[in-house]
Amino acid sequence: MKHWRDGCPDNAHPLYREKRCTLKATPFEPRILAFLCNWCSYAGADLAGVSRLQYPHNIRVIRVMCSGSVSPHHLLRAFRKGADGVLVAGCHIGDCHYLKGNYMTLKRVRFMEEMLRFAGFDPARLRLEWISAAEGIRFAEVVREFTATVKGLGPMPSFDAVPRAFAMG
Amino acid sequence: MKTTIERLIREGLVDAFWAYRSFRDCHFPWLFTQEDLHHLEPWRQTDVRFPIVKLLLASARENPEKTYGILVRGCEERGIEELFKWNQLKRERVVILGQACSKSLAAKCECRKPFPDRLQYGEAVAPVMESKKLRELEQMTMESLHEWWLAHLNRCIRCFGCRDVCPVCFCIECSLEHTDLIPGTILPPDASFHLLRAIHMGGRCIDCGLCEEICPAHIPLRSLHKKVNGLVRETFGYTPGDGNKSPFTLLGDVSELPSLSRRT
Repeated sequence: MKHWRDGCPDNAHPLYREKRCTLKATPFEPRILAFLCNWCSYAGADLAGVSRLQYPHNIRVIRVMCSGSVSPHHLLRAFRKGADGVLVAGCHIGDCHYLKGNYMTLKRVRFMEEMLRFAGFDPARLRLEWISAAEGIRFAEVVREFTATVKGLGPMPSFDAVPRAFAMG
Repeated sequence: MKTTIERLIREGLVDAFWAYRSFRDCHFPWLFTQEDLHHLEPWRQTDVRFPIVKLLLASARENPEKTYGILVRGCEERGIEELFKWNQLKRERVVILGQACSKSLAAKCECRKPFPDRLQYGEAVAPVMESKKLRELEQMTMESLHEWWLAHLNRCIRCFGCRDVCPVCFCIECSLEHTDLIPGTILPPDASFHLLRAIHMGGRCIDCGLCEEICPAHIPLRSLHKKVNGLVRETFGYTPGDGNKSPFTLLGDVSELPSLSRRT
């Protein structure tokens, strides 16, 4: 299996970097951050694991107690820190362990997507999915699909400002 | 204005009144109390705006048991209404007098409601419903938008003026100062600074435009916040500053949720 650092020269170990210099450039491997809710989606991911379903290794999972606890702060920070895509997954509407936590998620992520679009980032980099504890197959499918989408979009554009010359135009 | 404020203070209906006085033709906000009633002037229309709601909020926080009066424009009235909703001011502790904005100011601000509901002074002028700049921006492609925004945000000097002047930024502790959330060591701050502020303004921004007016780097923050307001209006059917309850303070019903599928 490929190591996840292979696609990212910044974080790579010096040894890896050396290898990259001598070999030809590796294809772009997106880094995807996933916020999975403890009660449904994380269990879903677990099920995908124990069922030995194959899905891309580009995903790094953060378990949260509820998808509603994922704030725009976290999403922006993820993108700023170099995530090429962010997946937020929670229980289906009506199944939330905290009754209405995922209502918040839905409102927030929809809003966030439009903001990203307006700021010039592709909203497809942010994805919201409802995955229950029984949907291991669906989890693998979503990760596969999302990885392909983000791979198509390429690396996340920078949050850092451009040279001052542009600013006057 | 002079007689009304004098009457309010003399009768003890308000303890102090935020209005304006002038010095050599320069207009500035002033807290009138029993002692300086002789400084009161007759009302006149001006195009200069001040963060008078912020001043009111500060003085109300200092003396929560006192009643304050305030002379407001349309935007400032919306700001106060929003502060009532978020439990920052008490309705029974604020007495509002309204003044209308001039036509030129309304045009300059692209104001959707250049007059308060409680209008006492001046004539209400026609609102300006559309923002030219926002329409231009919405027609741009994603790449050029990205470039355009970064080019403007590049000038930010992190003075926090936009936050400090904003009438609805009432938090005591601000996430913009949190270095775990926003990198604190680089200048200009990256785009997440203003994006985060814009997201916080969702359902709160009353579209007064003071942030853009005060920005020393002339960052077009107004367009960003107008867009946020447009999104809130589209998604939740809510305009900050009106009499309705904010959907951001409620969990609500399934029927009020936006659709799961993304708009393309």
